Amino acid sequence: MAEEQKAPEQHHSKSKAVKRLKATAEAGRYQKEWFQSLHTRVNNGEPFGYLNADVPMELLRAMDIPFVVNQWWAAICAAKRMTRKYFGLVNDAGYRDDLCSYCATAFAESLDPDDHAIDPETGKPLGPWGGLPHPTIAITRAACDMQNKIFELFCKNHGAKLYTMEATQARKTPLNWWDMDVDDWEELYDSDRLDEAVEDEKQLIRFLEEETGRMFDMNRLVEVMNLINEQETWYRKTRDLIAVTRPAPVTVVDTINAVMQAQWQRGTQWAADHAKSLYYEIKDLVDRGVPAVPNEKYRLMWIGRGLWHDFEFYQSFEKKYGAVFVWTMYLAMGADAYIRHNVEEDPLRALAAREIGMEDFLHMPPWNSGWFVKEAKANGIDGVVYMVSPNCLQAVEGSYFIEKALEDAGIPVLRFNSDPVDPRKWNAQTMNGMIEDFIENRVIPNAGK
Amino acid sequence: MSIRECAKSSEAFAKLHDAYCNREKALLEFKAKGGKVAGCMGADVPDEVLIAAGYLPIHVYADPDKPLTLTNVYLEFPFDPAIRATFEKLVDGTYYDLFDQLVISHTSDAELRIWLYLREIRRVERDRKVPPVHFVDWLMHRRMMYQETNEQVIERFRQTVESWTGRLITDEELIEAGRICNEDRDALRAMGELRHCAEPRINGSEALVIIGSALFMERAEHAKLVRQVVEDAQSWPVLTGKRVFVTGSNQESTDLYDIIEGAGAVIVGEDHDWGDRYYDRDMNLSLDPIKGIVDRYMLRQISSKKSSIDSRVRELDEAVAATDAKGVIFYLNVYDDSGSWDYPSQKKSLDANGIANAYFAKQQYPVAKNEGLPEQIATFIQGM
Ligand code: SF4
Repeated sequence: MAEEQKAPEQHHSKSKAVKRLKATAEAGRYQKEWFQSLHTRVNNGEPFGYLNADVPMELLRAMDIPFVVNQWWAAICAAKRMTRKYFGLVNDAGYRDDLCSYCATAFAESLDPDDHAIDPETGKPLGPWGGLPHPTIAITRAACDMQNKIFELFCKNHGAKLYTMEATQARKTPLNWWDMDVDDWEELYDSDRLDEAVEDEKQLIRFLEEETGRMFDMNRLVEVMNLINEQETWYRKTRDLIAVTRPAPVTVVDTINAVMQAQWQRGTQWAADHAKSLYYEIKDLVDRGVPAVPNEKYRLMWIGRGLWHDFEFYQSFEKKYGAVFVWTMYLAMGADAYIRHNVEEDPLRALAAREIGMEDFLHMPPWNSGWFVKEAKANGIDGVVYMVSPNCLQAVEGSYFIEKALEDAGIPVLRFNSDPVDPRKWNAQTMNGMIEDFIENRVIPNAGK
Repeated sequence: MSIRECAKSSEAFAKLHDAYCNREKALLEFKAKGGKVAGCMGADVPDEVLIAAGYLPIHVYADPDKPLTLTNVYLEFPFDPAIRATFEKLVDGTYYDLFDQLVISHTSDAELRIWLYLREIRRVERDRKVPPVHFVDWLMHRRMMYQETNEQVIERFRQTVESWTGRLITDEELIEAGRICNEDRDALRAMGELRHCAEPRINGSEALVIIGSALFMERAEHAKLVRQVVEDAQSWPVLTGKRVFVTGSNQESTDLYDIIEGAGAVIVGEDHDWGDRYYDRDMNLSLDPIKGIVDRYMLRQISSKKSSIDSRVRELDEAVAATDAKGVIFYLNVYDDSGSWDYPSQKKSLDANGIANAYFAKQQYPVAKNEGLPEQIATFIQGM
């Protein structure tokens, strides 16, 4: 165990997680470049949207309104190790620093007077990637009690206009949503929920048109939706390829960033092409028989938000045990939850059928529990490490039911609480010990059963 | 200060107090007569529909003394502990034996999750004694399209209740139920006057009993008793003490109020669901009854959980002005956190208006578990 221990300082230095894929590097490069161009566009007076992940961003894409997604940006800030500073600012401003760390990161950043400043000594920007430009609009959904409030505060600090949408709950509970959502979504959802979501989209479109002076073009939305189908279909092929390849050609460290970054650019030709290149790059590894971890013995699944501040963690069990994290939701959600056929018939309804499902699929039993079991089986998972966010009532997703469904299917689960963004609460040493214990006492004895 | 002798000597108050303390009493009597009972969780279950169908709506509540054996299995910890303690009774069979149906409203995240969890338990662990559970999925953002959606939601709820009884609920029955609830709310408003006015004669603990008993008894009976209490209270002595407004978590018992008023304050109002907010706004009987119900629940004082910070600041300022409160106590249970996002802005505005305020977040449940709380509250009241 000793070899896995790290001094705390070392732990907060820049991530040394191995990123082997060209696609990962390319996604990082593109994103940075895109972000620089965003600064320019905003400086030139263009509108700029800041969105929560469950907002139908496709509408903004179709209107060519640049946007940044809250969760993605929080991950960037965490990877840049800004979190400590930010939550100090939150505290100084009179707010609790132990609430909603993931969703409040950007609000915290908006309190930073140095966000757009340059370090006089190094000449480098102090804010992550030069800081978040001031959004002109921000959009969120009432999928939890606090997000609207956080966005409200964020908007005040940036001088942005806030728009909020509602979220309805599923009454139907089909047990195989992944077989239905692509083609049979009208059957999958309560139709009044789709009606409501379409209306919600139309109102948002009206807001966007009025705020930006740009017209929404339905034909353009069709193009965007089809590009997304293309992109997500590549993810589906990639997910399926990793699932059946032993040892796995890549680990979650390779896929999380490559996929998550490109997901926020979904609906662009770049993103579709990037997904394709990701597939071929991995396919090439498979064809050439190049595994990510040659001594792969046990395949692990990660449930929960990504550990943005400590990607190395995922690799900590490869050498000693041959235990490899091969699965997170980031690739698999793309594969199963995004594709919608027959977009042309009613693009807004097809989009609604993508958007309303996300909460259900991710956070509600039995939708989520059944899906995790299906994915674990398809990927030959030997053990599941499940991190429950401690202070988020939206992310409490029925963890008991998820664990039970997996265990009932014969797959061992380690469930624990932690925080994906806030390094103050993260103790890699304890976590390492816990997971080693899990591997030794549950995964290894159970493997091959 | 707690409940005074003058109140206890009122026969009507004593009856309300009895219903408040013995929360299953009216329910069991109703059942014994062959009546059906619907348990309600969340502040937005439209009682009017249940009453119209002949059901007795009874609110769920937490038992602070019960070990959370099953709750600890099913629920993650970031739930308000009062909700956790209520959940235990929903899964351990307590409520299974008392309720014919359980209705949960989308009042906050917590209620939503509880519904999902109970529904899932009923699906995968069929031998657990969880009552049949229904969800009223309100959209509380104030926009016309959501009002229209809510009308569909309530129409669907009406049909659900009809399916329980096997008969249609007529518009006339809904209007009559609305009239009963309005009469009760009106009586409670008269009671509220006796708290908010310059010479209050009803203290906060007494008010909690008068309001909260409505959750556990027949509404027409409740209204009658409240009217009587209002009459009786005219002769109760005027309360003197620092005028305090309470905001934050629901107070299902008088524990917190006893401490605050014991320190020399008079609680002249509050904005949680077991207090003044309970009787805000009537069902509009001139509208189609479904619209009238939506109008009531959607447009009454907005819930702290679903409200914007700006509205929370405005509403608190207004409530403080209306009750002439000189101080505000923010009291939030641990994991009942959304109010913590409102607080800094609310505080700023209160400070600017010269209103004293104290903030107690992350409080343990029940109130008595918070060491040093009475002393802190006393210090605040004295310093006001
Ligand atoms: S409760 Fe969860 S989803 Fe909601 S704002 Fe907080 S962290 Fe975000």
